[in-house]
Amino acid sequence: MTTSSAVRPRVIPVLLLKHGVIVRSQLFTVHQVIGNPMSTVERYSQWNADELIVLDIGQGEDHHDLRRDDLQQSYPGTSAIDVLLEIAKVCFMPLTFGGRITAIADIESRLAAGADKVTLNTAAFDNPRFVEQAARRFGSQCIVVSIDARAEASGWQVFVSGGRRPTGLDPAEWAREMQSRGAGEIFLNSIDRDGSGVGYDLALLGHVTAAVSIPVVACGGVGRYEHFAPAIRDAGAAAAAAANIFHFFELSYPHAKRACEEAGVNVRPVRLGSRLLPREPEYDRDFEDRKIAARLRQAREEDYPAARPDAARRRRPIKWCTECVYPSISAAPLEFDEAGVCTGCQMARMKATIPTSEWTRRRELLKALLEKYRCRDGSRHDVVVAVSGGKDSYFQVHMLKEEFGMNPLLVTYDGNNWTDVGWRNMLRMRESFDVDHILVRPSVATLKKLNRLAFVIMGDMNWHAHVGIMTVPMAVAAGHRIPLVFYGEHGFTDLCGQFSMDDFPEVVYRGRLEHYARGYEWTYFVGRDGLTERDLALYRYPTDRDILDLDLRGLFLGNFVYWEANEHIRLVTERYGFEVSDEPFDRTYRRMSNLDDMHENGAHDYLKFVKFGYGRATDHACKDVRAGLMTRERALELIAHYDPVKPRDLQRWFSYVGMTEDEFDRIADTFRDPRVWRRDGGRWLKDDPASGPVERAPRAAERGKA
Amino acid sequence: MITIVDSGIANLGSVLAAFRRVGAETRVTRSAADVESASALVLPGVGAFKDGMDSLRQHGLAEPLRQAVGRGTPILGICLGLQLLADASEEFGTHDGLGLVRGRVVRLAPRNAGERVPNIGWCDVRVKPNARVFVGVPTGSCYFVHSYYLRCAQASDAVAWIEFGGGPVTAAVERGNVFGTQFHPEKSQDIGLAVLHNYVRIADTIPT
Repeated sequence: MTTSSAVRPRVIPVLLLKHGVIVRSQLFTVHQVIGNPMSTVERYSQWNADELIVLDIGQGEDHHDLRRDDLQQSYPGTSAIDVLLEIAKVCFMPLTFGGRITAIADIESRLAAGADKVTLNTAAFDNPRFVEQAARRFGSQCIVVSIDARAEASGWQVFVSGGRRPTGLDPAEWAREMQSRGAGEIFLNSIDRDGSGVGYDLALLGHVTAAVSIPVVACGGVGRYEHFAPAIRDAGAAAAAAANIFHFFELSYPHAKRACEEAGVNVRPVRLGSRLLPREPEYDRDFEDRKIAARLRQAREEDYPAARPDAARRRRPIKWCTECVYPSISAAPLEFDEAGVCTGCQMARMKATIPTSEWTRRRELLKALLEKYRCRDGSRHDVVVAVSGGKDSYFQVHMLKEEFGMNPLLVTYDGNNWTDVGWRNMLRMRESFDVDHILVRPSVATLKKLNRLAFVIMGDMNWHAHVGIMTVPMAVAAGHRIPLVFYGEHGFTDLCGQFSMDDFPEVVYRGRLEHYARGYEWTYFVGRDGLTERDLALYRYPTDRDILDLDLRGLFLGNFVYWEANEHIRLVTERYGFEVSDEPFDRTYRRMSNLDDMHENGAHDYLKFVKFGYGRATDHACKDVRAGLMTRERALELIAHYDPVKPRDLQRWFSYVGMTEDEFDRIADTFRDPRVWRRDGGRWLKDDPASGPVERAPRAAERGKA
Repeated sequence: MITIVDSGIANLGSVLAAFRRVGAETRVTRSAADVESASALVLPGVGAFKDGMDSLRQHGLAEPLRQAVGRGTPILGICLGLQLLADASEEFGTHDGLGLVRGRVVRLAPRNAGERVPNIGWCDVRVKPNARVFVGVPTGSCYFVHSYYLRCAQASDAVAWIEFGGGPVTAAVERGNVFGTQFHPEKSQDIGLAVLHNYVRIADTIPT
């Protein structure tokens, strides 16, 4: 190999930080919440990324908040610097940080907190001499000028203030001036390509790269891995950057690198699996032990964080979506537009406008995918289908086997929480569909320990179920060399509009760790309650290397096939003998979801109410409002009735894991979110979307006294 | 225990995070006494040579550093920290360095298309086979931000190079207990962390 004398062209992920969380962006206006900044940055370190750009795009107050306290990873303060300090701890690549920089002191504090470079945008326009001062003080190498340009009838125009304020400037002229004032690099973003997925504006890029000698970083428009290379190869960019695409697919960054190499661009090659950058987190055992001990002490002494005098400081005014009734402090990440409409409603509206022709096109896309991965020699099954035995499982298998003629392998995680009907429905699938079915069943002793531990650690006994469902089908697929796994709907796209319909998000490790496991990987439990690595083997996710080599993909059928749960039920009952439960749930008015796990709609969901002040009835009612099946008024009635109910399945859980109701209540109360709850005269109060403050259900001890 | 010298001109946070990631215990210091008692030293630094030397002298660290290294304490200079180990630098005039590695720090002279000064980015590093801090490190590129480089007076001191200006430019030095990298290992992902991990292990085996 000959060594190259020039520096290697870079591929750069861009993270948009807005009010404390990472968002995806469309046309600079729609922002959907992806999640926790730290876990995303860690993933890029594991993927050996060349560089990272983090842009704080929040407007107004510099207030960052993860909006929940039950995650393993968080940052201690609320400023951009607090977030940056935590990001820098897990970032072993050059880091550029931008947003809210208007003074030399802002640059100084960001460099001190771990940034290697900063971007200047509006501040550079308002005061071009600021760029000179900054470059003189810190060196050109750490001053990046960010230019947002929009295509117009003749040429392009620079916009500032988050793309809202026109400047009358040509981006090439502006870049040249910035270079002459000391900028070391230009970060060029196309506003009209933002989130479009159609590729870079190569003409704009060529226009600017021809005008300057400093490196230009291209951004805006990448929708496929093939879009990266032309920016470097054809338009003269020193680096190709993108935001959204890296959130959608597993190993997106290594795939992007491979595509560049295939297009003849001399990027740093993909390398995975460094033992110094392990994917599974290595926890600070002493720190975590102290956290757990502190929680148990709080429970014992009834010293609840939400009841402390200083909790008032953390209370945030809760917003409820003005169309459905989803709250702003929630387990499901969402954002609101200026009219107060949540991203869940925005995306549902978008989904409703998808014409039949588009669904036909998506079906063809799916067909092509299935053909690509179909087994040609009979040596394996065609696809794995993750099934719980619910109506959606039946529908998925029906589609894949009957409509597309695949030979599926069904895989079920058995968390030992079945309802009788759910168990019968699950077992019936093998015969009704005439398919192979693997049940993966962790030991009951291990499950009991995990239930109890996870409740104490993160306020949710169903960690094992969430992680199991997202792990076991992928692991079975990897083990059987089956590259395609199907899940039903992408839950957060449906519930809170986390992705757009054109994103086609797939199963990713980051989402599994951050959302399903809340940052607690199976490694966290090793050595607790006598659990060993061997006990937790079923929760191990396939390695990045295995995923890349097999091209293992987890797809959501709902991205390709029109999903109307209420219609599926007819099909699956009539044709396959699916049994609908006649037993009502305690905490929701719907009857047909989560029959595989009695605690999912019960104890687990009750804890969501304890933490965030809402529950499954809110989830279901919001979906029904969006589908036009329910009025907002009716939704509010149902929510007021169901959300606070303490469910009966808790009694089973207490005897299952050996915990008293009083112990449970005390530990649960340590998880009450101070943003939501306040304590007044021994009662927990919160604001309510319909009728002002409501009370929680009385505690066992209090019921006894009454 | 790795003692990181805070000269007031370094990206300390990143260096600390990287040493923690490779499992090292660290302390950050500006005190001469800590330098004297250190079992292993790291001298990070970004910025201009003269500012770096001035800062070390102001804090009374230049002489303690020289003496500690003279007694056999291992030291790793990073970026400007590597350059400060040299006899002298030609950056903005001629300035004396710590004199722990023979040679002068001179300006990069670009000659080929695509070469710029400052040289910023990922450059392929060629490594001498028996270089101690590169044992078991995958070959590849490291992250550089510099306008000057150390031209070693004794060729054997240089253990890694990049190609620049039509010839080799020093990317790393090793001489007895003195080590240095022109690139930023704390920003060079798996390769950089592996280099730091090696330094920590080497430091553990050098008796002081």
